[in-house]
Amino acid sequence: MTTSPDQTFLARTFEDGRYAWTRTHRVRVRAVLAEAALLGALAVATLVQALTDDGWTTAYFLAWSAGMLLFIPLHSLLNLGIRGVFDRGRHSLDEHQEGLREHSHSSVGWPMTALTFAAWAGGIALASGTGHTVLALCLGFLLWFASGLLPYWHLAWTLPDEEDDALSA
Amino acid sequence: MLRAERRVSRKELADGVGVHPQTVGYLERGEYSPSLALALRIARFFDLPVEAVFSLDPLPAIGSELTRRTP
Repeated sequence: MTTSPDQTFLARTFEDGRYAWTRTHRVRVRAVLAEAALLGALAVATLVQALTDDGWTTAYFLAWSAGMLLFIPLHSLLNLGIRGVFDRGRHSLDEHQEGLREHSHSSVGWPMTALTFAAWAGGIALASGTGHTVLALCLGFLLWFASGLLPYWHLAWTLPDEEDDALSA
Repeated sequence: MLRAERRVSRKELADGVGVHPQTVGYLERGEYSPSLALALRIARFFDLPVEAVFSLDPLPAIGSELTRRTP
């Protein structure tokens, strides 16, 4: 059990008061929806591209790269909103934060397993059964990526608003 | 609230017992039940027995309790 959370550089960033605006439920929910929409858009773009006769064009891969680049600030926003409890070392978390992390992990355990299984089994089946290797790789990657994001989304969605520190000093 | 009555800031209490300030907020709002170790550290911080700080029933404010006991 942690009795004295260490303030690493990463932990100090996540605790920085300048980012208090990201720790409201409204901002966190919007970040989750934006990430889910981005992954959904990439999945739709992949399916549309697979159905066209043009093959896998440069424009498609540029769009994919842009989507992944857009994901970085979105996930930074989400991570600031949940104080980065999934990305900080355990020594920088107190018992409540560790509890939040474990609760979210256990709450989405089955969906995570199902998505990961679907990513690997579906990808292998698609590639070996139909020969659509790129489609299998892209969709498999998106499913696997989404499975890793589920605990973040769960915590961001369920964490209540924090009280204004100015009121509590 | 005990912390307010003692004029202790949330950060001072958090630093004193080794948790993050927002965890103190969750404790005060009843949204989180502390471990026994944390409860004991909080009681020691206020120099009170743990049962004077935590209870299954709502606790009266210390100020009103002292006023009631004063003859």
